[in-house]
Amino acid sequence: MTVSSVIEALGLTVHHEGKGNCPVSRGVVGDLLSFVMGGAPEGAVWVTLQTHVNIAAVAVLKDIPLIILASGRNPDEELLERCRLENIGLAVASASPFDVCGALHDLGLKG
Amino acid sequence: MDSRYEVEFPVRGDDFLAAGEASNQIKETLVMLGVPSAISRRASVITYEAEMNLVIHAGGGILRAIITPERLTIVATDLGPGIPDLALAMKEGFSTASDRVREMGFGAGMGLPNIKRNADVLEIDTEVGRGTTLTATVFFGRQDAREG
Repeated sequence: MTVSSVIEALGLTVHHEGKGNCPVSRGVVGDLLSFVMGGAPEGAVWVTLQTHVNIAAVAVLKDIPLIILASGRNPDEELLERCRLENIGLAVASASPFDVCGALHDLGLKG
Repeated sequence: MDSRYEVEFPVRGDDFLAAGEASNQIKETLVMLGVPSAISRRASVITYEAEMNLVIHAGGGILRAIITPERLTIVATDLGPGIPDLALAMKEGFSTASDRVREMGFGAGMGLPNIKRNADVLEIDTEVGRGTTLTATVFFGRQDAREG
């Protein structure tokens, strides 16, 4: 899977595609930044309900290529700007975090 | 690399817009110097958590990275309130962060434990009313030296 194929398969609303060709095979879900910082696999897709700019810093440091904001939550403007600047994928799913993770798992992504 | 390379970044207290920038700069420095990615990943956890502690708890401070052929040392220095009970602060889940900060996903009480897990050596010099200096060392090629 790639960032682009994940976006397409889940029907996400894209705010910034980022590195569309970047391969992804792992995922992480969480709203505690230290949990993601300490435990996320490198290069994982990150599912979260947080919408503020600080999640971009975590994504940069963990080489996370795609952040999925679940439950239809829209990003703060500062977050969108930072994701554009750092070329991090940022997309919104209308589904809940649980259902987004289920869909990612069905695509073959592991935790 | 040269025998010693050092970078230093000021970190502003309560500035959540800039939070993480110092850690990112240090990560870029490590990549530029050709530091192995396994070391760089551990360093990112250490620098990020130390930087956020400066932002959230200390009213700002200085984040430094010193790289030699043998080791990477991260030093976070502040003139903040100090840590009254260091053993308690090291416990997973303990935090003194405000509700506002917790709502942003910080203050889970995982910062110092995350640093300890990723450092081979962690020293914290703190005194109430004087401030805190955190020194975390990661040895290159000595995975067996890691604590906890």
